[in-house]
Amino acid sequence: MFLALIQKQMKILLRSRSELLMLFVMPIILITILSFALGSLMEGNSEMTKVELAIVLHDNEEEQLNEFRKVASETFPINDEMEKQMKQMLPISMLLEQLTKSEEMKEFIHVTELKPNEFENARKSEEFSAIIEVPEHFTVNFLTSIFMEGDQPAFNVYVNESEPITSTVVKNILDFYQQQYTFFTALAKNGFLSDEMTVPTPEIKSEIQTVDTETKINSSIYYTFSMSVMFILFIAGTIAGQSFLEKNMHIFDRILLARIHPLTYLASMIVSTVVIAFIQVAILFAFAYFAFGISLNQWGLTILLTLLLAIVVGGITALLSSINYRSNSANASNIFSNALVSILALLGGSFFNISGLSPVLGKIGMWTPNGAALDGYLKLAQNGSLSDIQHNLMNLAVMAIVLIVCAVLLFPKRGGIA
Amino acid sequence: MIEVVNLTKTFKKVNAVDQVNFYIEPGEIVGLLGPNGAGKSTTIAMLSTLVPPTSGDVLLQQQSVLKNPASLRKVLGVVPQEIALYEELTARENLLFFGNLYKMQKDQLKNRVDTVLQQIGLQHESKKIVKHYSGGMKRRLNIGVAMLHEPDYLIMDEPTVGIDPQSRNHILETVKKLNTESNKAIIYTSHYMEEVEYLCNRIYIMDKGRIIASGTKDEIKAILSSENTILVKLEKHSNDFLSELMSQPLLSNINAKEAEISFTVAKGINYLPTLLTLCEMHHVTLKSYEVKEPTLEDIFLHLTGRALRN
Repeated sequence: MFLALIQKQMKILLRSRSELLMLFVMPIILITILSFALGSLMEGNSEMTKVELAIVLHDNEEEQLNEFRKVASETFPINDEMEKQMKQMLPISMLLEQLTKSEEMKEFIHVTELKPNEFENARKSEEFSAIIEVPEHFTVNFLTSIFMEGDQPAFNVYVNESEPITSTVVKNILDFYQQQYTFFTALAKNGFLSDEMTVPTPEIKSEIQTVDTETKINSSIYYTFSMSVMFILFIAGTIAGQSFLEKNMHIFDRILLARIHPLTYLASMIVSTVVIAFIQVAILFAFAYFAFGISLNQWGLTILLTLLLAIVVGGITALLSSINYRSNSANASNIFSNALVSILALLGGSFFNISGLSPVLGKIGMWTPNGAALDGYLKLAQNGSLSDIQHNLMNLAVMAIVLIVCAVLLFPKRGGIA
Repeated sequence: MIEVVNLTKTFKKVNAVDQVNFYIEPGEIVGLLGPNGAGKSTTIAMLSTLVPPTSGDVLLQQQSVLKNPASLRKVLGVVPQEIALYEELTARENLLFFGNLYKMQKDQLKNRVDTVLQQIGLQHESKKIVKHYSGGMKRRLNIGVAMLHEPDYLIMDEPTVGIDPQSRNHILETVKKLNTESNKAIIYTSHYMEEVEYLCNRIYIMDKGRIIASGTKDEIKAILSSENTILVKLEKHSNDFLSELMSQPLLSNINAKEAEISFTVAKGINYLPTLLTLCEMHHVTLKSYEVKEPTLEDIFLHLTGRALRN
């Protein structure tokens, strides 16, 4: 009986040409177009190489510290504790320590110290992903701003625009440094800085691990996954729309009269969606394999990720159907297909990597089904392991549970004209 | 026996169905007659346990089925007014699908589908996609789905709406056969009084959510036993003549349809001489004058002051 409900859904879909085109042909066309059209744009920095970072120092930090001691001793006595705090707050040492402290960072970032006269040549050569220029009197000004009065000095940072990924990583490191620096300044000014406090290493370890892999993410791979996770969402709108037709045409009443529990019917819609979603993903991945030679690295994890994504889409189908049934109109599924899918696709990075635009939007994107799955597929394509995608799996599982619970609570338990 | 006791349904403070009572015994055909909007479909939805009543009860063998509708649903087949079929599937696929929902065994289901297809006259069209069917064929399949699991009671809600006369006759014959040959009890709702008159043993007339008359055909027609219905045909329509008729104190239920006018008059009164005088006065030629047996249409007009199909 349950099987009959699923078979019926499959047959109806197979005989609906427009829906077949939308769900299976459109994504293939888009993957092909986007792979070719945007291919060159993505090849530019698709492979993550070691970040070459240069630091240009216009002053010697030790000499600067001595100069500050001289100035400060005229205002207040410098005891042992003060001496310790000054050494703890040396900005260049602090930055270099962050960049070279951990083994992972060493593997990923190579820091070169340049003399001031080498700076111009280095800038023109584009040899470095980023150059940090520490201006004259930086250390004195920095220590003065902390222990006495004065404005905080600033670095000059030059980023190589042709290497967007590496320069984004450098920006992240410097942002983190800036946060720590502000935090320590506040502590020191308020007398809370203790010598046990150390500057932590930036928490970008996992990001570095992710990008530091052997497999390139080219446009074909990116758009195969991004279009797959976008078009899978249309299944929810389609099935929910068909389900509303069943109510509208009183077929749902007939199903209830056959003593089928409404929740059994709802479950059949979820399972049908999962099966159709799986078939859709399989077709798109098979197309990508034959057309672009994209093969899946880790079958087990890919299937697990796809299953969870498909269940989330099943949950969306169920929720949309529940709302359609409650409101006695197909507005929910129509709005979802016509507007919400595009918004989810944008947030989830189906058109471009949105976290490059805004980290906040990137985080929100990870709470969209397509965003969480796309990120997971890309990690797997780069030889990621279960631990790399566990966050993605967790997000998808939470979404699936929430959607299904809401759908079950909302779904009407009777038929008829009520 | 299925009984409906004081069934009421209120939508937004309006009683769509108001204190309705009726019953159906095994093997009989009961008609529920009323114009569109009378509350027939709402009554059917409550009777089939799809919509909960605001008050009242539905009894099967004197047991309430509102809380546990499974026992009623098992013996009930419902033909909704809408074509409740999958248009993308064939007739056979539709029947197999609904049969599977009733958990029928594979062989039994196959045989049953063949039998039903034969009963509804679609055995040669069973592999055709339903959306390519005519309206009449869809209506027949709509009935076929409801009788697939061999229910004891069939509820048919306006099963002949919007179809050609040939399909309509086929459906009426099928319904009749289901009753006489398979001994199915049938509740037949319609606003076509001639269908109800042809098929039903007992009739309930509904208007504005209430049962306004009930009984056997003869009992209902006896409501008009003191009156005759007269049908006159004129050569051409005349407003003056019609106004004159309406002002006549002896006539009631005057209904005009172009050059045809019907009215009722007390039995024993020969109204023909008066009518001829009026025709002469208004220069109208009388083509025919017929004293009719009262129909359900006349009864409805008499009870409500409105025609059934208005």
